[in-house]
Amino acid sequence: MSNLKFLLYVFKRIAYIAPILLGLLMLTFFISRVIPADPVALIAGGSASPEQIQELKRQYGFDKPLFQQFIIYVASLAKGDLGISLYSHRPVVKDLADRLPATVELSIFALLLSIIFAIPVGVICAIKRNSFLDHLMRGLTIAALAIVGFWLGIMLQLIFGYKLGLFDLGRRISISAPTAITGLYLVDSILTLNGRTFLNSLWHLCLPGAALAFPAFATLVRFTRSGLLDVINREYISYVVSMGIPKWIVIFKFAFRNAMVPVVTQIGLLIGYLLAGAVVIETVFDWPGLGIYAVESILMSDYKAILGITLVAGLSFTLSNIVVDILLAFVDPRRLEQ
Amino acid sequence: MKVSRRAFLKSLGYGSIAISAMKNKFVFAQGKKDQLVWVADQEFKTVDPHLLMDVATAGYRINLYDGLLRFQDNPPQLQPWLAEKYDVSKDQIRYTFSLRRGAKFHNGDEVTAEDVRYSMERQIALGVGAAPFFKPIIESTNVPDKYRVEFKLKYPYAPFLSCITLLNVVNSKLLKAHEASGDYGSNWLTVNNDAGSGSYQLESHEAAVGFKAKRFGAHFLGWKEQYIDKIEFRTVRETATRVMGLLKGEFDVLGGRMEPDQLEKVAKDPNITVHKDLAARIFNIRLNNQKPPLNDVHVRRAISYCFDYDGCIKDLMKNEVERNAGPIPNNMWGSSPEAKGYTYDIKRAKEELRQAKVRIDRPLEIVPLVGYPVTEQAALLLQAGLREIGIESRVNPKTWPTVISLCAKPETTPDITDYWVSMYYPDPNNWTGELYESTKGGTWNGQCWYKNPKVDDLLKKAVSVVDREQRTKYYNDVTKILIEDAVELWVFNTRNFTPISKAVGGFRFCPIGSGMECRWLYWKA
Repeated sequence: MSNLKFLLYVFKRIAYIAPILLGLLMLTFFISRVIPADPVALIAGGSASPEQIQELKRQYGFDKPLFQQFIIYVASLAKGDLGISLYSHRPVVKDLADRLPATVELSIFALLLSIIFAIPVGVICAIKRNSFLDHLMRGLTIAALAIVGFWLGIMLQLIFGYKLGLFDLGRRISISAPTAITGLYLVDSILTLNGRTFLNSLWHLCLPGAALAFPAFATLVRFTRSGLLDVINREYISYVVSMGIPKWIVIFKFAFRNAMVPVVTQIGLLIGYLLAGAVVIETVFDWPGLGIYAVESILMSDYKAILGITLVAGLSFTLSNIVVDILLAFVDPRRLEQ
Repeated sequence: MKVSRRAFLKSLGYGSIAISAMKNKFVFAQGKKDQLVWVADQEFKTVDPHLLMDVATAGYRINLYDGLLRFQDNPPQLQPWLAEKYDVSKDQIRYTFSLRRGAKFHNGDEVTAEDVRYSMERQIALGVGAAPFFKPIIESTNVPDKYRVEFKLKYPYAPFLSCITLLNVVNSKLLKAHEASGDYGSNWLTVNNDAGSGSYQLESHEAAVGFKAKRFGAHFLGWKEQYIDKIEFRTVRETATRVMGLLKGEFDVLGGRMEPDQLEKVAKDPNITVHKDLAARIFNIRLNNQKPPLNDVHVRRAISYCFDYDGCIKDLMKNEVERNAGPIPNNMWGSSPEAKGYTYDIKRAKEELRQAKVRIDRPLEIVPLVGYPVTEQAALLLQAGLREIGIESRVNPKTWPTVISLCAKPETTPDITDYWVSMYYPDPNNWTGELYESTKGGTWNGQCWYKNPKVDDLLKKAVSVVDREQRTKYYNDVTKILIEDAVELWVFNTRNFTPISKAVGGFRFCPIGSGMECRWLYWKA
């Protein structure tokens, strides 16, 4: 019975994806068209006559009524066609496929980095509450949340890239890229058993990864600390402690799992944050990912590209939330009843 | 666990050594530097030479592709390139170019007249890039024989020889073989492929990163003893990163925009030379001549008098630019030495305003471009000047595509916009006919919506004769009228700043292509 409930729960969550994405696309489509911008006149050039611009609009299908354009877009989308970028004349699908792995790799790296460091630090801060370390970390996390990613990125470049000369200032790799299988350089290096490209790409991930992970680290430290403190103060923990069970066992066996519920929720939300943060960090580090593509497309009003990015971002955000919901239901089965 | 101070410092030391060792082994294990890295601030979205025509795209247009003729040096001199000579018919309608024999495309195919014909057909059909320069004037392209191509114009058009340098010749056989649903091979060419005959041939292209190319040994021009074997044009968006990279030695040449304060920093480095070349790119403050109150010449003159030109040049641009009081760059033939233009004179501005017949009953909108700090600073300077003569204004930055869309109609075109007018072809028509002919309204070039039949007539005459002296006279007359009518504010002519590592020699600047032609560069011993 509970398995059936769980499956129903998962199915319900997945069923939400299509209407959410359609709504998102519709909003983006009409908002991007309402904003005054004329990318066709831009690519036609300053010397193009209004007639030449009109001819180009016909060629790209921009002369049709907006609603009709949207229907055509959705129909093509159903066939997996996201249209052609106005500037590169490349299929948007191809542009996205080329750039998505770079963002995914950077975001996952940053997420792992923040989880690996934040959870132990958060646990220590909770256990050593009001100690020097706790105060220090509190200050650091507030600073990390306040610091602008753009500034942090440039500072890291300045100190570790320029002054100390330890890192390159940007790009994903400084030697030949590994044979493309997934597009994720670390994974491809492992799959092709190429240690040199693995270390080189790992090296290049350090600075942008750290810059992207820093605010996420701060968020997770705070959530882990407060979550654990909340659980530690509950009666069942006092009961376990009174039984004489060692403190570390109490923390990790009885408190930690319950304390992780808000942290896991937060990790899910962080995926959205990391995608948004990647826009800034990718620009600073010239990381050839979706963030840069998004900025360029929005600034140049490349409509089809904007819709493609919206679709990918919406899909990743929706999927990550579904995964978190499922994980939470797994951690706390009472959710299935709600 | 307690960690002693000594143990902590010891581990820190070992850590640093380990990091340095790893870095040397894995990051710099690339051998001797053999590749020139030229950084740009824009993406190379494609390497198809017929699709885009902005400043950065010159990186592949002139290195991977050749044209019939090419401009070199500054001021630009027209040189034979794929064509060794050309003939113009007496009625100036037919231009026949004779190709040099033996010029090869990168795949070994010979460059023939059919390739030139196909290139013109492709450029016009795609409708973007250089198409607007050819579409209105080309009647037909004929191929009398394998090595001669003839362009028949619809009417005599003197700037044609300058414009023809914008046509990049592509390998017709190769592209036809990759055509799909009438795309002229565009989809194939934008994905890491090359159909050119230029000095370098494409090795790889990644839109977000840039492109790499290697020297084409069989280029028709041959090679001197010194050259650079591999070039990389890389996109680095942040100016701070570009500057750090150059100072660190990671990059060799810095292209793209540079603000004067960053330039000062770079110029102080002993390993870098900053080339400062007068470009032909005028910074204009553009006025909408059709929209009240700017439809009154006295209001436009008042605005022209209330801008602090010297303050802009000295303080904002740190004296790194040159005052250009008229529409045509001072370093371009056809410019008028007598054109004194306007100066910052509040008293005269107020006098002009008193003569105005229209009332200024609303704040004027000044639109600088988002992402271009100079345009915002100049807008604020103009706002201060306007306030002195009692005109209220609001500065409202907008992105370039938005400005372009607003320019489609006179009623939506902003009152005032400021940006640079670039050179596409070195002919005075680039800064006059393209901007002030009454038919140009509705394009961003024609956003002043200037209408003057006399100027139209002079501009028409100026492009219908080839005699340069005669043309200069026409352009001087046009300049005089435009200044009298205060059509817009012509502020300064830009200098192109190119910081280059001292390890690189042979830099030759030409405003067409912003000095990006790499075939002249070499590593110094």
